[in-house]
Amino acid sequence: MNPDDIKYHREHTWVRVEGKRATIGITDYAQQQLGDIVYADMPEVQTEVDADSELSEIESTKATSPMVSPVSGTVVEVNEDLADSPEIINEDPYGNGWIVVLQMSDPTEVNDLMTRDEYEKFLKEEEEK
Amino acid sequence: MLLTIIGAGPGGYVAAIRAAQRGAAVTVVEESEVGGTCLHWGCIPTKSLLASAEALERARHAADLGIEVPGPVVCNLSKVRDRTAKVISTQAKAIRSLFKNLGVKVIPGRGLLIDANVARAVQADGTTQDLRSDAIILATGSRPALLPGFPFDGTTVLTSDDAVRMQKVPKDIIIVGAGVIGCEFAFIYRTLGASVTLIEALPRALATEDAEIAAIIEREFRKSRIRLLTEVKVDAVSKNADGTVVLVLSNGQELAAEQVLVAAGRTVNSGGLGLEAVGVRTGRRQEIIVNDRMETNVPGVYAIGDVTGTVMLAHVASEQGVVAAENIMGGDARMQYAAVPAATFTMPEIGSVGLREQQAAEQGIRVRVGRFPYRSLGKAHVMGEYTGLVKVIADAGTDRVVGVHICGAHATDLIHEGALAIRMGATAKQLEETIHAHPTLAEAVREAAADVHGNAIHVLKEKG
Repeated sequence: MNPDDIKYHREHTWVRVEGKRATIGITDYAQQQLGDIVYADMPEVQTEVDADSELSEIESTKATSPMVSPVSGTVVEVNEDLADSPEIINEDPYGNGWIVVLQMSDPTEVNDLMTRDEYEKFLKEEEEK
Repeated sequence: MLLTIIGAGPGGYVAAIRAAQRGAAVTVVEESEVGGTCLHWGCIPTKSLLASAEALERARHAADLGIEVPGPVVCNLSKVRDRTAKVISTQAKAIRSLFKNLGVKVIPGRGLLIDANVARAVQADGTTQDLRSDAIILATGSRPALLPGFPFDGTTVLTSDDAVRMQKVPKDIIIVGAGVIGCEFAFIYRTLGASVTLIEALPRALATEDAEIAAIIEREFRKSRIRLLTEVKVDAVSKNADGTVVLVLSNGQELAAEQVLVAAGRTVNSGGLGLEAVGVRTGRRQEIIVNDRMETNVPGVYAIGDVTGTVMLAHVASEQGVVAAENIMGGDARMQYAAVPAATFTMPEIGSVGLREQQAAEQGIRVRVGRFPYRSLGKAHVMGEYTGLVKVIADAGTDRVVGVHICGAHATDLIHEGALAIRMGATAKQLEETIHAHPTLAEAVREAAADVHGNAIHVLKEKG
């Protein structure tokens, strides 16, 4: 279910890298924990963000939860479709439910992130805590 | 006791009733209809308009609750206006029947002071009548401030007085001023289908509200795609050949829209009242200066409501009217402002009372803050109203509640528990120990009070 061509952050976000462009979203685990998503508060294009800091805030019927950026960079694109249909995040978290695209300022940060297998192991450990 | 009251708004009419209940012979001079701005141009018509907008919004989302509406849901603006007119006339009649019941006389016309014991009513046709009075209450209210440079015409450049009688839903509208009135209209216009841009000179919308509460509304603006521009002013206003209004902003940006609504403050109605001749003191904004018994500096002359520039809220005017009437009838009532609730009818609503968190900090009061989100309430899920927060602010030393702020469905009704708590000097602990019925939104007030001490029940403990 979790794709292996992306990298994962321990705050349950993912990043897909193409050159310096990083497409970012929340993981399937995150969307399941949140439940029905009703709104994603988007940063504005041009916003600069540091790795591990808040990039967006996701509201579901259960909780309001910060979305943490897995890498540093400048927001170059936001997913406009989410404004009318935030439920896409629930339906397709790794595809059409992407949230923003960053132009990375330090692509080496990606190396610090987890692979799919590492993330799934991490999830298991979290669940057992 | 012969009492003359100039103005029959929520201040004047309440003062009239209370004084009459205490045995005064009361005459009210009113140049328009009884009920004042509140009933005819403010509280009541905007909330009637909002009730229609909310019905539209609920119908649009009825499917979420399993109710299918065949065909599109449409707004019939002339029927909305008719309904508002009916609500207003019913309320005006109710005031008149209270007056009749208590023998309060109404003289149509403009009132002014001749001396401390004579008020004059000047009717539209110029006939005058002098009313000898043992006491006089000035309750003439306020009107929308007309910002200089705006060519107000009632159809494209509007005041809130024009907006409450909305003739047309514009394609787009720019609202100047993101205070209470501007924000309320932003949601109304947006729901009715207009594209809305709000312009605010200060760094945020709803500057007088608690910052955290205002941030929720700013997010609701983003959700409903109401554009908010802060820290900008309007430098110039002009009109295009096609009738659209063009604003040049202080940041150089140019905006055009079919309509512009100016919702930037109100001006007190103290002109032409004969204040100077009688020596009634006024302040910098021409407001009539009063003490906490609602007395002016001239014995026997009282002032209440917006014209005093104290707190421009209908319910404050009414309470000031009660205070003035009691004092005129031999009592010793004093106006207190520590627990004045405020109701802002945004979508969702805001109810607030007492200190804002930033005010407590400014005043050097150490506080503990409890919070509880609506989305953790069963009732909020039942209603499908997830957005919302209750915030209880208590003095860190005494635990007394000093502020309550609520944003969410029915916040304007829920806030009164906070007003009572502050008025009675209740502690957060006492609020927590008050049993709240389930399932209600009021449970959030109990939980927020409990959260002051980390004792809320429906909160996940942070792991790790």
